[in-house]
Amino acid sequence: MREPDSEVIQRVLKGETGAFDVLVQQYQQEIYRLAYRMTRNAEDAQDLAQEAFVQAYRSLGSFRGLSRFSTWLYRIAMNLCLNHLKSTARQDPSEVDGNLADQRADSLATLLAGERDRALAEGIEALPPQQKATLTLRVHQGLSHREIAGILDCSEGTAKANYFHAVRALQRKLQAFQKVS
Amino acid sequence: MNDCETIRDQLVAHHEGELGEGERRLVEAHLSACPDCVRDAGLIREALARVETLPVPEPPVGSWQAFEVAVRRRIAGEAPPRPGLWGRLIAPLHGLFLLRPVPALAAATALGLLLAVGLVRTQRSPRDVPPAEVLVFNEDLAIGQNLEVLESLDFLEDIEVLERLDVLQKLDGGRRPRLS
Ligand SMILES: [Zn+2]
Repeated sequence: MREPDSEVIQRVLKGETGAFDVLVQQYQQEIYRLAYRMTRNAEDAQDLAQEAFVQAYRSLGSFRGLSRFSTWLYRIAMNLCLNHLKSTARQDPSEVDGNLADQRADSLATLLAGERDRALAEGIEALPPQQKATLTLRVHQGLSHREIAGILDCSEGTAKANYFHAVRALQRKLQAFQKVS
Repeated sequence: MNDCETIRDQLVAHHEGELGEGERRLVEAHLSACPDCVRDAGLIREALARVETLPVPEPPVGSWQAFEVAVRRRIAGEAPPRPGLWGRLIAPLHGLFLLRPVPALAAATALGLLLAVGLVRTQRSPRDVPPAEVLVFNEDLAIGQNLEVLESLDFLEDIEVLERLDVLQKLDGGRRPRLS
């Protein structure tokens, strides 16, 4: 059986810093995927996921164990992703490398075999960051609206509304796609 | 049709099983007679099912082992984390109270401990209290001032401390042994 996170954390805090590897092994895939779903860019997702672990390590002493460690880690990672999206949105579009954008579009197209999946991926990309975050935490991390509200620092009602808006937007995306094709 | 708009706004909640009994019946009665809304409900199901299975590429670093090594390398330059005040006081109680969502009694006990230590600490010379701990401690108190908030904290953690991390590290850096 896997050692509980709380025990691993206690070991790290008692000076056995190498035990942090256990937490990295346990959550690296989830955190990387969460960051990828937020950024749709593997390089950025990798950097953000690594940064999330570094920040978690630095502030492990302030983790109170009132939530699951994974939820705490999602919050760190999600804050980083949202800040990243904010800073890239501020970028002057003329500064964005055209080739890079094409490459990203190409790799996305190869990755998404079906046209409907591609339409959905575009739909997700177009969601406001908070809605995208809510959708990711709900669908992929399986969190409750309450947990999502805690992570995104909003009310449960807002988390719910963001989720409903996001799903409705994707539903419309499929609907529009059907009309076009 | 106005009816359809109202129903469509409820379709996601219906899919999630989050409608009350009355609303659920209304939506289902409508769906039994409205092919347009049935189509929308189908698209919601499809969208969610597809979103769930959208692929994610492997990380560029090449393997998860390489990812882990990269994290380890970045952490090697960091000071080892130490338990905050909360951890030192409350961690021993985890087995007793905190395995389940915090009951009010446990939260009150924790608050009592924090306040008690706060009284003792405020009587000490400020020089005895490391600055980083003061920050963490103040935050504990700020949260402790509202029991309702404390009760709902089973998922909330002190990201505020994270946000002040740079400050904390500067304050604290001189006293921490560095990893070689
Ligand atoms: Zn209808």
